[in-house]
Amino acid sequence: MAEMALRNVCKQFDSAHYGVKNFNLDIHDKEFVIFVGPSGCGKSTTLRLIAGLEEITDGELWIDGKLCNYLEPRERDMSMVFQNYALYPNMTVYENIAYSLKIRKVPKKEIDKRVKEVAKILEIEPLLKRKPVALSGGQKQRVAIGAAIIRKPKAFLMDEPLSNLDAKLRAQMRVELKKIHNQLDTTIIYVTHDQTEAMTLGTKIVVMKDGEIQQVDTPQNIYSNPINKFVAGFVGSPSMNFIACDVEEEAGKVVLIFAINNAIKKIYPNNHDAQLIREKYMGKRVILGIRPEDVYEYEEAKKRKIDLNSVGIEEEIVTREMLGAEVMLYFEEQNRTHAVKLGPENKTRIGEKIQLFFDTDQIHIFDIETGRNILYRERN
Amino acid sequence: MKSGKKIEFAPYCYLVPSMLIFAVFLFYPFFKTIYLSLFMTNKMGQAKLFVGLQNYIDLLNSKSFQNSLKVTVVFVLIVVVGGMLLGLVAAVLCNKAFPGIRVFSTAYALPMAIASSSAAMIFQIMLHPTVGIVNKLLGLDINWLNDPRTALYCVAILTAWLNSGINFLYFSAGLGNIDETIYERASVDGASGVQQFFHLTLPGLSPIMFYTVVVNIIQAFQSFGQIKILTEGGPNESTNVIVYSIYRDAFFNYRFGSASAQSVILFIIIMLVTLVMFRMERKGVNY
Ligand SMILES: Nc1ncnc2c1ncn2[C@@H]1O[C@H](COP(=O)(O)OP(=O)(O)O)[C@@H](O)[C@H]1O
Ligand SMILES: [Mg+2]
Repeated sequence: MAEMALRNVCKQFDSAHYGVKNFNLDIHDKEFVIFVGPSGCGKSTTLRLIAGLEEITDGELWIDGKLCNYLEPRERDMSMVFQNYALYPNMTVYENIAYSLKIRKVPKKEIDKRVKEVAKILEIEPLLKRKPVALSGGQKQRVAIGAAIIRKPKAFLMDEPLSNLDAKLRAQMRVELKKIHNQLDTTIIYVTHDQTEAMTLGTKIVVMKDGEIQQVDTPQNIYSNPINKFVAGFVGSPSMNFIACDVEEEAGKVVLIFAINNAIKKIYPNNHDAQLIREKYMGKRVILGIRPEDVYEYEEAKKRKIDLNSVGIEEEIVTREMLGAEVMLYFEEQNRTHAVKLGPENKTRIGEKIQLFFDTDQIHIFDIETGRNILYRERN
Repeated sequence: MKSGKKIEFAPYCYLVPSMLIFAVFLFYPFFKTIYLSLFMTNKMGQAKLFVGLQNYIDLLNSKSFQNSLKVTVVFVLIVVVGGMLLGLVAAVLCNKAFPGIRVFSTAYALPMAIASSSAAMIFQIMLHPTVGIVNKLLGLDINWLNDPRTALYCVAILTAWLNSGINFLYFSAGLGNIDETIYERASVDGASGVQQFFHLTLPGLSPIMFYTVVVNIIQAFQSFGQIKILTEGGPNESTNVIVYSIYRDAFFNYRFGSASAQSVILFIIIMLVTLVMFRMERKGVNY
């Protein structure tokens, strides 16, 4: 149960080097907040600032209306799962899980009951007597989660808890975590560099880069309405295709033109977007972004009533991946590989050409210098 | 496989040099000591009259030797507990990075590099009843080294300090092997510094603790130089530990038989203590 607020929180490691910079965030009760970003962007540091393991060099941390900058970790009432699990090597699994309760002088019977409950949820009952050395990575990780959830703290802090697991176990634990969040009904702050994890787990995603927040929003909005090119490229797999193009006018309509190998290719943004682009970018160069799944072949595009006016987007396929439910095709443009996700019935082979249609309602246009999404829709 | 009867010769050749050294400097003196302990000797230390176990019987009945045993036990206890505590506290304090840590680490490890005799000389001056800094600072007038009530403690504390240097190193190494993040987890879990020390640090040191205790006990039993310089076993035999008693019997009283018997008894005591420690290790080490 916690309302948290971070106000301009900074962590300066030395005079020139910030780990976290001007971090502003409100975290509400029962939210599942995800910090996501590439390695070294300050996610762990932020989490440790909240836990009290690092000192905040500037800014304020409010927990339930109380300024907590100078509170010791043990006075903050959080529980944390560390990236390397940090199990106590001299204690058994049982003692590891029970430790935070034992410290709080909870009666033995009560501890025993809770440990058994937690062990059941995480399916580690047979392991309770073992020492951490005798556990596999996945087991250790579940013990670490168990040790965290045995208490009902103000918030759970988890630092890449699934990063050391194999893909299958990771997927399984994602589902478990989601369940645990529903069962426990508490705030979770979760750090990951894996955007899939972020998208599937979070109710609120905080995308970070170089110690600064890029965007805070729901997974859906982060995906469909990224604030800049970095967020657009970071979220989604395979990532968004970026193509540089020129904004021009053609018979009163805005057109995006990119020319490669003498072939002129044109895309006509829809009216609303065209208006925004026209205001500032007429005659300038921008970056067009489109997700692989927003590109269609002719039949499908027609069925979906997608604007078929775009010109000359006929690409030679360099790689083809059959994924079962869909086919990924890759083509090269402007020295970059771009991906297209099509239905499994598509039979285009490597070396063949295919006519593609972009869903113009789903395109993004980025400023070439700042990377800002020109079409970003401020909500509310 | 060669024929069954032929004994491989070469491997044993490699053992010869070390065996020779052991034989000359360890086995020969060891067995010679046992041999001598069964005889009366002349002033040259030559065995003259076989007396069987009489030396041992005399010793065990002698007030002086009983006193030596008692003094040794007290001395060893203070030295082992004191030396290890000092080393442990210093190592824990220096386990965190802070400005000037090198200066402190060096200071705590320094006793290791000081010869026991020179340390003893310095203590002698510090404990001097009239000009010594200890009395000056405490505003007391105690003749530390010549008072039977204090002499043993002075010598024992000096020895504890001397041994703390190497203990500091052992414990620093042991602490270095403990994963830092378990302390972070413990502090988030709500453990205080004291709880962390007893729940994590001490158990984390258990693998090295056994070794350190054994080395400390053996070292304490064998302390000699500082006693020779500071008190010469006195006053009133209050610091007459077994090692010093052996020295006195052999080289002042020329009773090599009795001295040898004391050596054998000391050997047996150290061996028993070490065996007990090994026994305990099998149960005690945590992981
Ligand atoms: N104790 C430290 N001293 C100096 N720099 C640090 C320290 N801890 C982290 N950093 C730096 O701060 C940045 C953010 O680190 P971190 O929060 O661990 O990133 P991540 O997002 O991968 O968890 C990195 O550039 C890292 O090198
Ligand atoms: Mg990290």
